[in-house]
Amino acid sequence: MIPPGRQHLRELPDRHCLAAGTPLCAGCGGLAALQAVCDLLGEKTVIVNAAGCLTLLAAYPSTPFRGSWLYTAMASAPAGAQGVRDGLDILLDKGAIGTEENLEVLVLAGDGSSGGMGLSATSAAIDRGLDFLYLCYDNEGYGNTGQQASAATPRGARTATSRGPQGHPGAKKDLFAIWAAHRPRYVATVTAAEPLDLARKIETARNLSGPRLLLALAPCPTGWGYEPAEGVAIGRLAVQTGLWPLKEYVDGRVQHSKIPQPRLPVRDYFASQGRFAHLLRPENEQLLAALQDETDRYWQEVEEHA
Amino acid sequence: MYRIRFHGRGGQGLKRAGRILGTALFRAGLEVQDAPRYGAERRGAPIFAYVRASRSPIHERGVISCPDLLIIADPHLLAMPDSGVLAGATTRTVVLLHTGEPVSLWRERLDLPGPLLILPRLPGEEERFRGAVCAGGAAALLTELDEGLLARAISEELAHLSAELIMTSLGLARAAHAALAGERGIVRQEEPISAAGYKTPAWLTLACEEAAVSAPAIHAAATSELSQTGLWRGKRPVIDPGRCRGCWWLCATFCPERVIAVDANRRPRIDYGHCKGCLICLRQCPHHAISAVPEEEAAREEKA
Repeated sequence: MIPPGRQHLRELPDRHCLAAGTPLCAGCGGLAALQAVCDLLGEKTVIVNAAGCLTLLAAYPSTPFRGSWLYTAMASAPAGAQGVRDGLDILLDKGAIGTEENLEVLVLAGDGSSGGMGLSATSAAIDRGLDFLYLCYDNEGYGNTGQQASAATPRGARTATSRGPQGHPGAKKDLFAIWAAHRPRYVATVTAAEPLDLARKIETARNLSGPRLLLALAPCPTGWGYEPAEGVAIGRLAVQTGLWPLKEYVDGRVQHSKIPQPRLPVRDYFASQGRFAHLLRPENEQLLAALQDETDRYWQEVEEHA
Repeated sequence: MYRIRFHGRGGQGLKRAGRILGTALFRAGLEVQDAPRYGAERRGAPIFAYVRASRSPIHERGVISCPDLLIIADPHLLAMPDSGVLAGATTRTVVLLHTGEPVSLWRERLDLPGPLLILPRLPGEEERFRGAVCAGGAAALLTELDEGLLARAISEELAHLSAELIMTSLGLARAAHAALAGERGIVRQEEPISAAGYKTPAWLTLACEEAAVSAPAIHAAATSELSQTGLWRGKRPVIDPGRCRGCWWLCATFCPERVIAVDANRRPRIDYGHCKGCLICLRQCPHHAISAVPEEEAAREEKA
């Protein structure tokens, strides 16, 4: 049963945990998701950050964080989180710190790390039942280095390494399903364009212990090719077209927290970004139809299992 | 050899400007290097790109520290010390500044040792076309280039874009080229730097310190407040208090930088010191109470 969350944006925190003056792109969708997470988790958090766009946040000499931050190699943030968690647990056991000084360990990693080279360390950490929260900001490519294709790049998207007439030939790796297959405590997909859904899931995750993932679609003006002002509209379109299903895995079951009704054609989402512009050309009609079919099939299955 | 440096912000197309100029010079028969500075390029953040071109093989490498031509796409960059816009400018450096303001004003403000030219803002010029405009303006100053070479380089470098975007870029680059037609040849080539003439600077030798002294330890929180990212802005979101219904949640909630605070009277206030001008607030405001004012205009109004 999904617990009720806040009903109104007015009920979201109006004091913010991260300081202004970050060096990230104007309109960054990953930062927007992180802001919401930090606002709700508060200062008692250690961020373990795999190399990626968001590691620039704490680039010497400035930082927006008020708590601790640990930088790890791209493949090893969950291993870093294990070390921090173990250290805290030992201090707690010895009575060196009180429970009020305990910290939440938050892994912060992009899709390049989360779905690619960091997957092995993640899998092992879930196996060990590590008590940590994982925020993946999914901008569907290696955004920090110029948007090369990653394991999370959707089919058809143009990236720095997918320049052909049909864009990226691969399929987006289903990180939600990979996590869920480990039977962790909690997995949820989110996006900052849906702030109430995001807030509820952050709070659900915060109140649980064990391995927990928040997988955030992070619209990226630089990598996706759109005007920064459109970021929230694009995040919302991803949900409304059914391309980014908002769902959560809890107690062994997957539930959808929002079923788009009416579901808009995927074309609307593709038309909003330069990386998909070629999909609207007549020669890509079949590919566009195939992508619509794929989405339709996904939601048909959701309906059948409801 | 020509040493040319472009300064702009991520998203304005300055990296492409360097490529356009490099390609045009290459098509004119010169040897060319063109590259953006690799770094954490961020939309809105300062970036630079550079071009070297010469009739003989180019042996120099790396960034250009003493440019013959310096193109500044956005005068606001001058306020950011870390963008290093004027670094290395000498008496023979031609500075081409892209602004809607008159040359007399900038001559007085900058007091440069060398020539200063203004590339005026063009009608219908959006920020993302600034690279094409700057490439057109820069091309006009070099004797090796004409409008035909410029147009060919633009068509080549922008081939992946839509026909409409290419046409707009071509039109703007041509207009920029025409605006500076009288300045052809003002930029002159400088001799390549020779390693033989290198003089060792008068180094200072410092004794080793203990690690605790020389390695920085940073325990202060929230120091990013000191970065004035408001200088990244091309357009400023301005709230019309008459239209704002004081709903207070939409603009403030969706601001990815969280720089919109709401006061006790439910009035949103934008922290212009840090707002990067993404304009998500403008797009999300249901009452259309927020408008985008070009930063130069907003700054002028502020002073007036």
